[in-house]
Amino acid sequence: MNFFNRTVRLLAFAALTLGFVAHAADSARAIIAKAALAEPPAQRIETITSLLGSGDESIAGLLAAWKEDALFVYTAPDGSKIPVQLFGDKDDQDSQTATRVDSGKPILSSAGKSLRLVASELTAVEHTSALRRAMKAVLDLLDLSTPDLKKRISAIQTLGFAQDAEKLAALQARQKIESVPSAQLALREAIALIELKDASPEVKLASLKELAALHTIGSADALKAALADAEAANHPSLAAAARLALNAVDSHLTTVNFFGTLFRGLSLGSILLVVALGLAITFGLMGVINMAHGEMIAVGAYTTYVVQNIFGTGLALSPFGFSFHIPGMNTGGWLYESYFIFALPLSFLSAALVGIAMERTVIQWLYRRPLESLLATWGVSLFLQQFFRRVFGSNNVQVSSPSYLSDNWTFHDIIFGWNRVFVIGFAGLIVLGVWLVLTRTSLGLLIRAVMQNRNMAACMGVRTERVNMLTFGLGSGLAGLAGAFLSQIGNVGPSLGQSYIVDCFMTVVVGGVGNLPGTVVSAFGIGLADQSLQQILLNPVLGKITVLVAIILFLQWRPAGIFVTKSRSLEG
Amino acid sequence: MTTDQEKTNLILTVEGVTKTFDGFKAITNLNFYLDRGELRTVIGPNGAGKSTFFDLITGRTKPDTGKIEFGWDTDLTALNEYEINRLGIGRKFQTPSVYSEHSVWENLLLSLKGPRGVFSTLFHRTSTEQCDRIDELLTLIRLDAKRDWLAGQLAHGEKQWLEIGMLLAQDPQVLLVDEPAAGMTDDETHRTGELLLSLAGKHSIVVVEHDMAFVKQIARDGKVTVLHQGTVLCEGKFDDVQADTRVREVYLGRGQHGTR
Amino acid sequence: MSAPTTRRIEFIAVAVIATLLIVVFPLLNSAGVISNFTLNLWGKYLCYALLAISVDLLWGYTGLLSLGQALFFSLGGYMLGMHLMRMIGDLGQYHKPIPDFLIFLGWTELPTFWKPFSSFPFAAAMVILLPGLVALVFGFLAFRSRIKGVYFSILTQALTYGGSLMFFRNDMLMGGNNGFTDYKFLLGADVRDASTQRALFIATAVTLVLVYLGCSWLSRTKLGLIQRAIRDGENRVLFSGYAAAGFKLFIFVLAALIASVGGALYVPQVGIINPSEMTPDKSLEAVVWVAVGGRGTLVGPVVGAIVVNALKSWATRAYPDLWLFFLGGMFVIVVLFLPGGIVSIPDRIKMWWARRADANAATSAPVAP
Repeated sequence: MNFFNRTVRLLAFAALTLGFVAHAADSARAIIAKAALAEPPAQRIETITSLLGSGDESIAGLLAAWKEDALFVYTAPDGSKIPVQLFGDKDDQDSQTATRVDSGKPILSSAGKSLRLVASELTAVEHTSALRRAMKAVLDLLDLSTPDLKKRISAIQTLGFAQDAEKLAALQARQKIESVPSAQLALREAIALIELKDASPEVKLASLKELAALHTIGSADALKAALADAEAANHPSLAAAARLALNAVDSHLTTVNFFGTLFRGLSLGSILLVVALGLAITFGLMGVINMAHGEMIAVGAYTTYVVQNIFGTGLALSPFGFSFHIPGMNTGGWLYESYFIFALPLSFLSAALVGIAMERTVIQWLYRRPLESLLATWGVSLFLQQFFRRVFGSNNVQVSSPSYLSDNWTFHDIIFGWNRVFVIGFAGLIVLGVWLVLTRTSLGLLIRAVMQNRNMAACMGVRTERVNMLTFGLGSGLAGLAGAFLSQIGNVGPSLGQSYIVDCFMTVVVGGVGNLPGTVVSAFGIGLADQSLQQILLNPVLGKITVLVAIILFLQWRPAGIFVTKSRSLEG
Repeated sequence: MTTDQEKTNLILTVEGVTKTFDGFKAITNLNFYLDRGELRTVIGPNGAGKSTFFDLITGRTKPDTGKIEFGWDTDLTALNEYEINRLGIGRKFQTPSVYSEHSVWENLLLSLKGPRGVFSTLFHRTSTEQCDRIDELLTLIRLDAKRDWLAGQLAHGEKQWLEIGMLLAQDPQVLLVDEPAAGMTDDETHRTGELLLSLAGKHSIVVVEHDMAFVKQIARDGKVTVLHQGTVLCEGKFDDVQADTRVREVYLGRGQHGTR
Repeated sequence: MSAPTTRRIEFIAVAVIATLLIVVFPLLNSAGVISNFTLNLWGKYLCYALLAISVDLLWGYTGLLSLGQALFFSLGGYMLGMHLMRMIGDLGQYHKPIPDFLIFLGWTELPTFWKPFSSFPFAAAMVILLPGLVALVFGFLAFRSRIKGVYFSILTQALTYGGSLMFFRNDMLMGGNNGFTDYKFLLGADVRDASTQRALFIATAVTLVLVYLGCSWLSRTKLGLIQRAIRDGENRVLFSGYAAAGFKLFIFVLAALIASVGGALYVPQVGIINPSEMTPDKSLEAVVWVAVGGRGTLVGPVVGAIVVNALKSWATRAYPDLWLFFLGGMFVIVVLFLPGGIVSIPDRIKMWWARRADANAATSAPVAP
């Protein structure tokens, strides 16, 4: 056994250093074909072992077939021996299409038709246990060489976590030729992990130092085991080194968690900001409590859904017993993926229109009755929710993220989802946009004038009704934009808005009503608090409840953030 | 500085008070002393800080710096509105604030001096003395015939009277009265003046007013304080104040009657 | 009409309705004229009426739109529900002496805080104490920092939301998503029995009448005057020397207790309590009843709770898909066009008649108000 291992390791070395050159000449298929015909069969092991370190995709299938006695040698009419595989359905004579192992192409008869052979009439290529072991060694290392970086790194890590000394040579060989830094790091980790199991304390010590330097999160379990071993073996220097390495991992983990939480907090804050900004305008500036704000978000999200389907295969809807089909453009590739770019302005527009319709029909009568506006808009919210259910169904609908939003980027073990990075960036843009609208446009000037003194503005000839309508449209449109966003992050369903409405109000109230900078600060504050508490309490619901309690207590400390004292009239 | 002898006679001391709203100095280093039984008139152009001045005394806002004391040494800045009211400082607001959905009679009942606790009001029974007192007040404010009217149905001037009645029902030591004559006819204004004059001596009164004819009427014996930009511009007899050039410049110069 | 006459009419009306509810309906039920189903349904409406009164006491009378009443209603329900769960004994599906859901969660013994709920007096006391305490603490904090108007609504909404989040969790050990159901016994009687249900109906009716009379008395006390004064001009109340926060706290706790008792009566009649009863939407629904019935009156919430829920029972069966459109639409319409609710309709008609009569009289000049 030991002898064999050594042989394999030696051969692996040989194969990887020398065989690499050979690969360029012979394809993996050709090598396997050669091995199948090799005489004496002992030669086969050598030939197969030359495949070590190859990443060719055909190897796995061919070797598997060989092991399952599905690799045959066909003797052609001219007497030459050709290794073949049989594919396709069996016909009534049990024959199947024969494919050459060396090329992967069917064998053609003289008539130009593909040759059909019967499995039982052929001899399967033999395999001994030694050969199977050699094959396994090749297969194990196959993924180490795959050109797919993610797959390669994951294969390296799997080997490392297995801590199998047999794989050390292959990893070390790979280390010599690996050019990608992230894969190099993975290799260093894997090798150190395997060496952790080495009998020699010096090697162990060195590997512990290496692991301390790498401080990868994945090595924590192995380090804990090593620490236990060292303590059991009463080896203080090893135990100390293991502890050092574990500390390094722990402190790295803390850093990762910290920045991860920070990032998630920022992204949650951005989401809150985007959903609450519209509310900050309708509630903060206009004093209207729009309980249907959440449904404006849902309008935006459903708009995104519809736009996506128009870019795709179309959408069949059957609201209220009428069924109709929205034709799709059946686009694909980048054009399909660009649907989101079109969905953004459209979701703003659709929500703004719904908001304006709502303002005209319901809210305009209730400007001086905030509690009533709360109730009436809740009625509207029920109405809209049921409308979504009837049109789009009660279940969540599927909005797929375009590829440029669904990937992520890992930096020092911290995962940055592109959709969340996008949310943060976009929140910044929206805040900037709203600020510009309010401070640099004539609409903004009118909005601020009306909000400060409705009657005075009306006396100055401002058409306050129009300004109200547009302001409400702006607030609702922003909610729609938020909906487009949320469709990329969570589910889109009839009660989408309900899950955000409480958070929305909290954000605006904590920020100080009518105070847009306050809203920004409070959105990020609540987002960060929520994510940190989740991290600390290890329970999202408890975290959320704690945030609610914290907000109530916060308002004890700073109720003045909410109320503006006016002294002229008593009630104000 | 005040001597001890003066102190015993002081009921309200405002010293070095400053109040800033968002960077705007509404009150700057204000000093104001009110004697027991005094009727003081405070005038000043719009934005002079008259309402903020009342807000500070009644605990509606807190000063940034300075002290506000009641009587000997009760620090008003540490108390809130209802505690200050219970000490005996009543306030009438510029825009009349009455309970519009309550009857005139109920408005007065709620204002009557007496226990203010939750359970004492729950088990409260109106005594005959209280009824008599309310009747007395109703006669005084000439709303006897409208005792069962909802306060919200009263005319503006009547609401002013009702609020004065509510203030008197509390039997406060200090009355802070913000523009009592607004919305009243000349006759009503005159009667309001008479009423305030008759109350002086028993109560200490501060009246903020714009109407110069009214000010002249009530300030015939007492002092007038002119507020300007949150601080006391000058103080003295009505005629002296009227003759003061600074006052003419900032206030009277803008029109004899200010805004009404 | 003078005040004493109105009072007498009100008294007679209450006496008649009380007799109907407490005596006549149950008698008709035992005689088989009113089906068990109908009586049970009405029992539910009366519980909702208690919830509606608690909303109105705050909103209509004190100007505090609380969206937390569903929380107190459910808390009351949960407290009695815990006792009912204990009374199942080992008749559950697992035939163990502790509630099924606890076994499902891997418990073999009763958690400590469940133990005292085996006693009915304890559970009944908790129906009062727990919601009372929650209301006291929350109200103290909210009123101390002078949170009012819509901010109060938003905060109570958040409170209810937080509560429902908590009760949805399994490790709260309160049945999680499914809550409590499958009750067997209450005070030794089988809860599913018609006679038990009848007794519960009577108990609910008696409670409603007592609460009605109590609130009616309250509204006539000086405290009631202050309560409405706070609604119309809170600052004037403060400047009249009343600590408005104390009064609001008193009313808030009282309303929480009324809601909680309503919830406790509701649970054995409906046979289930789960966290979906605790959501802010349920509070808002109760607000709809009050708005539809007529806020600021005591009859309004009772009428509203019965009318809207009777309508709901019918509509959810006849037009299940349209019910929410209807509820939403009704709310908008009542808020916009009938702020006084159903009970204001007679007055409106009277005013309309009077105006018509005036118009017909035509020659006389308009009378000053």
